[in-house]
Amino acid sequence: MTAAAVLIALSALVVFQEQKTSTVWDGVYTAEQAKRGAAFYASNCASCHGLELNGGESAPPLTGGEFLSNWSGLTLSDLFDRIRVSMPADRPGTLTREQTANLVAHILNVGQFPAGTAELSTRTENLKQIRIEAVKK
Amino acid sequence: MSKQLPSWTRPLACALFFVLPALAQNTGLPSTKNGDWPYYTADLKGTRYSPLDQIDAANFSKLEVAWRFKTDNLGPRPEYKLEGTPLVVKGVLYTTGGTRRSVVALDAKTGEQLWVYQFREGKRAAIAPRQLSGRGVSYWTDGKGDDRIVFVTTGYRLIELNAKTGTPIPGFGKDGMVDLKVGMTTGTGKQIDLENGEAGLHSTPLVVKDVVIVGSSFKEGMTVVTHDNTKGLVRAYDAHNGKLLWTFNTIPRPGEFGNETWENGSWATNGNTGVWTQMTVDEELGLVYLPVESPTSDFYGGERPGDNLFGESLVCVDLKTGKRKWHFQIVHHPIWDYDLSSAPILADIIVDGKAIKAVALPSKEAFLYVFDRVTGKPVWPIEERPVPQSDVPGEKTAATQPFPTKPPRYARNFIDVPDDLIDFTPEMRAQAKDNIARYKTGPMFLPPVVGDPKGFLGAMQLGNASGGTNWPGAGYDPETHTVYAQANQSAVSPISLRKPPEGFSDIHYVLGRNDTEFRVSEGPGFGSAADAPQPARRPAPAAAASAAPARPAAPAGALTVQGLSIVKPPYAVISAINLDRGDIQWQVPYGETPDAVRNNAALKGMNIPNTGQPGSVGLVVTKTLVVLGDSQMTSVQHPRAAMLRAYDKATGKEVGAVPMPAPQSGSPMTYSVDGKQYIVVAVSGGAYSGEYIAYKLPEQE
Repeated sequence: MTAAAVLIALSALVVFQEQKTSTVWDGVYTAEQAKRGAAFYASNCASCHGLELNGGESAPPLTGGEFLSNWSGLTLSDLFDRIRVSMPADRPGTLTREQTANLVAHILNVGQFPAGTAELSTRTENLKQIRIEAVKK
Repeated sequence: MSKQLPSWTRPLACALFFVLPALAQNTGLPSTKNGDWPYYTADLKGTRYSPLDQIDAANFSKLEVAWRFKTDNLGPRPEYKLEGTPLVVKGVLYTTGGTRRSVVALDAKTGEQLWVYQFREGKRAAIAPRQLSGRGVSYWTDGKGDDRIVFVTTGYRLIELNAKTGTPIPGFGKDGMVDLKVGMTTGTGKQIDLENGEAGLHSTPLVVKDVVIVGSSFKEGMTVVTHDNTKGLVRAYDAHNGKLLWTFNTIPRPGEFGNETWENGSWATNGNTGVWTQMTVDEELGLVYLPVESPTSDFYGGERPGDNLFGESLVCVDLKTGKRKWHFQIVHHPIWDYDLSSAPILADIIVDGKAIKAVALPSKEAFLYVFDRVTGKPVWPIEERPVPQSDVPGEKTAATQPFPTKPPRYARNFIDVPDDLIDFTPEMRAQAKDNIARYKTGPMFLPPVVGDPKGFLGAMQLGNASGGTNWPGAGYDPETHTVYAQANQSAVSPISLRKPPEGFSDIHYVLGRNDTEFRVSEGPGFGSAADAPQPARRPAPAAAASAAPARPAAPAGALTVQGLSIVKPPYAVISAINLDRGDIQWQVPYGETPDAVRNNAALKGMNIPNTGQPGSVGLVVTKTLVVLGDSQMTSVQHPRAAMLRAYDKATGKEVGAVPMPAPQSGSPMTYSVDGKQYIVVAVSGGAYSGEYIAYKLPEQE
């Protein structure tokens, strides 16, 4: 590793450590990412959770009051990991981290949390810094 | 499977053999009187009642967690819908959990695992119609030390385990198990495939004396691939050896009572009509009460003209022979998914000075149907009244349906427009009226319609799949003759039928709308069993992918108004129904106002009384309390918690609450060990995987 690479790595670490806690109201994903998530959702998730994310007999809704009551106060890392570990129900563990992040972006978009300019991270430590808040404070 | 424990556990099993008797605090048969909880519903009468009184109104809020048991590692991955209610017998707790539906025995004082049993069924479990970890187990004892745990696997096998060691009973069936798929048929008697055939069960077997009675269930009946589905059955087996004692055909065969109610010989080409919920039994009378579900399919009966006995009927059969004693059909020619969902409750009541041995049936319809359980005669008249008729091609609805005259309905069971619509503000009421105008509305038993984007999008229903009292059932206080029932009254569900896509099914109509993408309705937890993946059952709906908008616009006929339910609160209620008088003693909203209502911007500054929260949950009745938990997380009494609440039995007043880390997903139960009362409840949902939590009072004040 060159000295320059070490320096870049170190500065990246500093940037990460200085990253402030944010909430889902702070524009934590991009519209383009949500669009990719929407397409993936339609063919992999909608058959159980519904095209409009309103749930069904076999799966809970992913938008609205009941959904937010379960997730408000947790972080996007919790939601990301729930999908990563257990979804889709019949083949869990098959999604890439990028696909999972796109799905989270789609869920945020449908829930009318604002999009921003930077894509949602696929890294757990970053997602842990973003709180899910049902109501903008 | 493990026919016997692995060698390294044998010393442990031996040790347990000597330890377990030491845990025993009582002698004789297990009973709630001794502090046990020996049946899923506390006793064979379906009461969910325990006379324990240590936990009361004065101290309920002081309860603290005694122990927790996480079910994640009972299967290859966590489960998020844990529905079990454990048993406790002589200080040992038995229950199911995990995506493999393993059975565990825990020290009821500490939660320490004593043994675990799991059976690897492979594909048979992965394609099973009922895949969750199940509602729990049953207990059989000869009273002389031969104690067994009885349960049904995901793949529909009946297994008996040694209660002390968790090992299968060698003399029961073959190697401790009976294959329940044997004898399940389609058509006029074609045996289903033992691996791929559709049959399962997640309720607990009914164990009475030396008999084990099991029901049957199938996939959700909304979008069926054939009307000639597997036929439901109820069967009784000898608890000693697994020998089949009798079979009751819930679809009567030619020559059997009720066969003619399947016109045009349609008994031969239809299925379902199983018993998927808990049954109850009067041991003294030797009578068993079977709550039967819907025939194929849930919302279209065009392939089965007639009343279709014993679909959606309460059937009383002889415990020794399985022969029908009486029946009452709650819904004729069922097409509303009003499965009989709850354990019938046996109640000895006094009406107008006359003692009656009664059976009371809580329902999705939010009626409590009450019968003399010896004769089947309604305790109060149940009237046949004319109901709306179907205009779906091929469908022939029954002219009348039964309506109890007493007790009154204990929750809303249809949407009375406009009175039942949201009315926080006049604008909201107006919007709700606009939205609901897109649907056909009317009284109970409004038949489904073929949905049309230019006409009615569906027929508006309240109840059906998730209304009224569902699978958790109700409870009963045998001292005051009062039924306690939680009921959902905001399960707004418009029903639309459509023709199935070419090649999907031989039935003429399934759930859906012709102008929307066809979607197969699977059961709760479908696809979540251990040993998935599933075989592909249908092509993936790829066509929709490109068409999906990134943010769907609010659809016409939305069932919410500014994020709130289109119906007004309370969203669910708890009722006390006196069975001597047939009236409602009290009724209160269930739970606490959801955060989504409390924080709704449109309601800012308004004083909204407790709206209760939607959901279907079970309860436990003790000497003085009714205890049940929230189905939603709120942040009112405690940050981010679903509350386990105690209500005064006499008044319905909330007298205490303690936080749970996730919503109640299985009904609570209570027991006592060494003079200490415990309450155990299954919680799960959202980010929180299945966990049993035991509460007790602090050791010191």
